[in-house]
Amino acid sequence: MEEKVLEILEEYCEEALSYDGDSMMEDGIIDSFTVINIVSELEEEFDIEIDAKYVVAENFKNKEAIIALVERLLEE
Amino acid sequence: MQLLSYRFVLLWVITFALYYLVPQKRKWHILLVAGLVFYVIGLRGFPVSLLITCATTYACGIYLKKSLLSQKEALVNCADKETKKRIRQGFEKRRKLVQILYFALNLGLLVFYKYTVAALPFIKGWGIPTGFFEKVIMPLGISFYTLTAISYVVDVGREQCEAEENPLKVLLFLSYFPAVTQGPFNRFARLHEEFEREHVFDYDRMLRGIQRFVWGAFKKLVIADRIGLFVDTVFASDVSGVPGSILAVAVVLYMLQLYADFSGYMDMALGVSETFDIILPENFKRPYFSRSVAEFWRRWHITLGTWFKDYVMFSFVMSGTGRKLTKTARKKWPVMGRHVVPIIGTMLVWAFTGMWHGRTVSYILWGVYYGLIMSVSLILETRYAAWKEKCHIKDGKAWGLFCMARTWLIVFVADVLIRSRSLEQAGMIYRAMITRLDVRALLSHDITSYGISKYGFLLLFAALFVWLVVSVWEEQGKDVRSYLAGFPMPVRWCCYYGILLVVLITGIYGGGYDTAAFMYQSF
Repeated sequence: MEEKVLEILEEYCEEALSYDGDSMMEDGIIDSFTVINIVSELEEEFDIEIDAKYVVAENFKNKEAIIALVERLLEE
Repeated sequence: MQLLSYRFVLLWVITFALYYLVPQKRKWHILLVAGLVFYVIGLRGFPVSLLITCATTYACGIYLKKSLLSQKEALVNCADKETKKRIRQGFEKRRKLVQILYFALNLGLLVFYKYTVAALPFIKGWGIPTGFFEKVIMPLGISFYTLTAISYVVDVGREQCEAEENPLKVLLFLSYFPAVTQGPFNRFARLHEEFEREHVFDYDRMLRGIQRFVWGAFKKLVIADRIGLFVDTVFASDVSGVPGSILAVAVVLYMLQLYADFSGYMDMALGVSETFDIILPENFKRPYFSRSVAEFWRRWHITLGTWFKDYVMFSFVMSGTGRKLTKTARKKWPVMGRHVVPIIGTMLVWAFTGMWHGRTVSYILWGVYYGLIMSVSLILETRYAAWKEKCHIKDGKAWGLFCMARTWLIVFVADVLIRSRSLEQAGMIYRAMITRLDVRALLSHDITSYGISKYGFLLLFAALFVWLVVSVWEEQGKDVRSYLAGFPMPVRWCCYYGILLVVLITGIYGGGYDTAAFMYQSF
């Protein structure tokens, strides 16, 4: 799963892979367009539904947070 | 009540003294009373609309909390996946219905107050008596507290914050006086945490808050209101006879005026709040250093941008309609399809942003203009990167300056629309700048015949230079207030008194030593 998430991130925002901070959205690494595309890809790839309530800076602060979000949604 | 008035300073001083005198658990009461006093004096009346918004927001929050709790309880005793789904959907449907009613009521109030004046000619045209509508006055800060209230309700529904049990605390959240008229837009979870944590008097923090307030006053009185003298004269004149170069200078100065005025207000609001040890979110991060329009809007009125992103853009994209559209577009156009929904979302956000800012067609066009620029940038992003590589353009200083100039130009074009008195005047200004620029007019005496004398300009440029130096320092990550604090006491206090004197002596004041209203207050 982790590898697939990283592949998606690589396609839409390569910078996210090397980013080691904790506010990717505020730091301008990832914008709302990229978030939307990543969310769509993740939904399609893992057959999950990412509700708007999950699309917050906290869940997209770095690649680890995105992986954790997918993990959580897969468990639900 | 203006933030720059003796009445406000008096309210601030009294509130400050009482705030640190009362025990921790009573501090929020002081802020609530101060907010209501500020509001009642500012409105010269009872804040009916604010109280309606507060009551419905509180009630909706409590309903959502109870519904979420009941849903969880119902799900605990259920093992079957399908039944679980059905139970969840049932609760979600009811919550959605209540939220829709809440939005309709509060947005209805906002639209009613905001657009009644603009709609008067049509109402008259339909033969409806307009006596009642003519008496309607837009409540102070309604555009700000309505969106703030909506964010609370959505956040409770999304389980991003806990609903508040005390209605007076909801009222404090909506009416916190440094932020009630122009923002920044607060989120309940964050502001509530600020109110609840322990606050102890700290001399240095108080000083920092006052410094920020004075700096904001400098931007407002010395820069924004002085520029206003020139800009107002130019735009009030018959622009068909004004040289294009002077119009261009007026528009550039208007860009700076708007920024100085609004960011000046923010400095004052954040400074006042800092003296109470309540830290509000930053609303500006030197937007005119931006290299793209998208970056500009990430640095300008930040809390409004994030509000629209979180509550309009993401709500639309993640909705059933948004998802269906995404799937269909991706199936039809595998490459470009992924841009379809973000573009619709962007256009929606910018149309709303335009409508939120003003009541005229110019504001809607202004919103559509930015929406189109953002959408085109999104579509061309990959081609643009390839073109840059092909032309061997590197991200150096020269390229950075070019990108900044491009951002200025895009904002310049947009600001002509919102500053002009009509679309016709905007058209005349665009035309004049292309067909009769007449740069020599800038060097002749012409430029001093529009409300500012030669010395007024010199003072303005000196003030702008100081502002630029401070902005460059801040852009480099330096904190000017901490830097000043490092100087020996006599030097430090000379600086403090110096800037205070500059504000008092060179600021633009009205007859009663009051100030012009803040520009964003009318949005």
